[in-house]
Amino acid sequence: MKTILTVLLGLLLGAAPAWAVLGQRVTSVQSDRARLRGELRAVERQGYSVQQITAADGTVIKEYVSPAGMVFGVSWQGPAMPDLSDLLGAYFPEFQKASGTATRRHRAVAVKTDQVVVESGGHLRAFHGIAYVPGLLPSNLTPAVVQ
Amino acid sequence: MKTKNGLRDLVGQFGLVFILLPGLIALASCGGGSSSSSSGSGSGGGSAVNNTQPVQVNLGPLNNDADVLFTSVTICVPGSSNCQTIQDVQVDTGSEGLRLLASQVSLSLPGVNDASGSPLGNCVTFADNSYVWGPVESADVEMAGEKASSVPIQIIGDTHFPVVPHACNSGGANDDTVAALGANGLIGVGVFRQDCGSACAGSVSTVPTVYFSCPSSGCVLASVPLGNQLQNPVWMFAQDNNGLLISLPSVPDTGSATVSGSMIFGIGTQSDNALGSAQVYTTDDLGNFTTTFNNKSYSSSYIDAGSNGLFFLTSSITGIPLCTGGNSGFYCPATTQNLTAMNTGQNGTSGQVSFSIANANTLFQGANSAFNDLGGPSPGDFDWGLAFFFGRNVFVGIEGQTSSAGQGPYWAY
Repeated sequence: MKTILTVLLGLLLGAAPAWAVLGQRVTSVQSDRARLRGELRAVERQGYSVQQITAADGTVIKEYVSPAGMVFGVSWQGPAMPDLSDLLGAYFPEFQKASGTATRRHRAVAVKTDQVVVESGGHLRAFHGIAYVPGLLPSNLTPAVVQ
Repeated sequence: MKTKNGLRDLVGQFGLVFILLPGLIALASCGGGSSSSSSGSGSGGGSAVNNTQPVQVNLGPLNNDADVLFTSVTICVPGSSNCQTIQDVQVDTGSEGLRLLASQVSLSLPGVNDASGSPLGNCVTFADNSYVWGPVESADVEMAGEKASSVPIQIIGDTHFPVVPHACNSGGANDDTVAALGANGLIGVGVFRQDCGSACAGSVSTVPTVYFSCPSSGCVLASVPLGNQLQNPVWMFAQDNNGLLISLPSVPDTGSATVSGSMIFGIGTQSDNALGSAQVYTTDDLGNFTTTFNNKSYSSSYIDAGSNGLFFLTSSITGIPLCTGGNSGFYCPATTQNLTAMNTGQNGTSGQVSFSIANANTLFQGANSAFNDLGGPSPGDFDWGLAFFFGRNVFVGIEGQTSSAGQGPYWAY
């Protein structure tokens, strides 16, 4: 309920995250679909579900949801980078900190901390990546389901 | 930088007078038919021009770069001889268009506007979530004896332009300084004509977050016709415009201090750019082909001189450990790994590539800048970066342009 309220408030203030946020409850997915003017498709898999949003610009965001209703992983593929601060939510500062220590520029990054794994790659016109929270991954799944 | 911005202000106030006069004189005296280039190299009547632009791998302006290819680019106020040559521009085949740091540009260039007269801004967020943002302006672009007229380019970090829109980037690093960019600019000479193409020219409700219209009320997402988008300058050259060839000598496995090579414009247009025995790998409409490694295919793979190494998959898949410390974006195997992969074009052409991955921390111990065995992770694909180019002639075939290799987009090597 608190999450829903936060999302509603966010929408009213025009500051809602663009999509469901890593590590939060799945209830935010519907507001994402609206923001992205996208189509939502849900697929049930063995031990988890995938909420797939196709945005108007062709970006495909997949949100991996545990039976407990938590978004444990996200992936993206599209013509431009998604807003990682929205997508990673509370894990974004950690991604920033970890990727900032790498000295190189303008190419793929693979960040792995105790809290979160973020892998981002691609080039102009074609970006892709995944992120997941090992601590939220259902015990019967491997990270390879997030793709 | 303060000084440079001051200079830019000065040119902004007075530059137009200096710029317009020579342009008008040139137009009047020559009927618009002559080159207004200040370099004065012969280009009369369709005879061959100098199509070879020197390129170099070195430590770069920050004195710490590895596998970064630099060249110089001359820009001019369109139709004038008011020109400026900018050094240390990074050559990138993973993007299209010329992007220059505002702090390095002293010319006052005309802006490119949308249909309602509002200035256009261009945004790129890279895979590492850093970004470049700034106005689209028009310049003549010259390299070797080649010239492209009135090319839309991006000026990065122009302090007179609105701040980056939230939709372009929020929270990423701003690559608006030499220290952040590692170069004075980027010259994108990839397989496409424009940086974005038809995806950015359709209905504004479907465009990706690349172009913005910036009236005084603030920047909003915009649809931009192909001609106003950032252009790969090579396809706008008067000749030698169907692609290019990057030719770099081989380097020892321990690296080289510097490497000098050539960026040669055109494919099969002059005696120095024949396709020869190179195999042609056509790409899909995103610029990708397939790389097969350990019996698994990765269909989003590509060649990118702007990536400083051989980047592929992840440590968990390759079994190659990442470096510890500040170089964690690179692989650091205990012993050099000798590997093979297979590249396959959309046209079905296949060819094996043998490559090595050395310990990046060891490579970086000396003062070398050019390595053929520097590598790191790139999740889900192979990014054949500059390390791939050493000892090869790599051809970039531009979309819609034809050569003896067929029609672009394609790679050939």
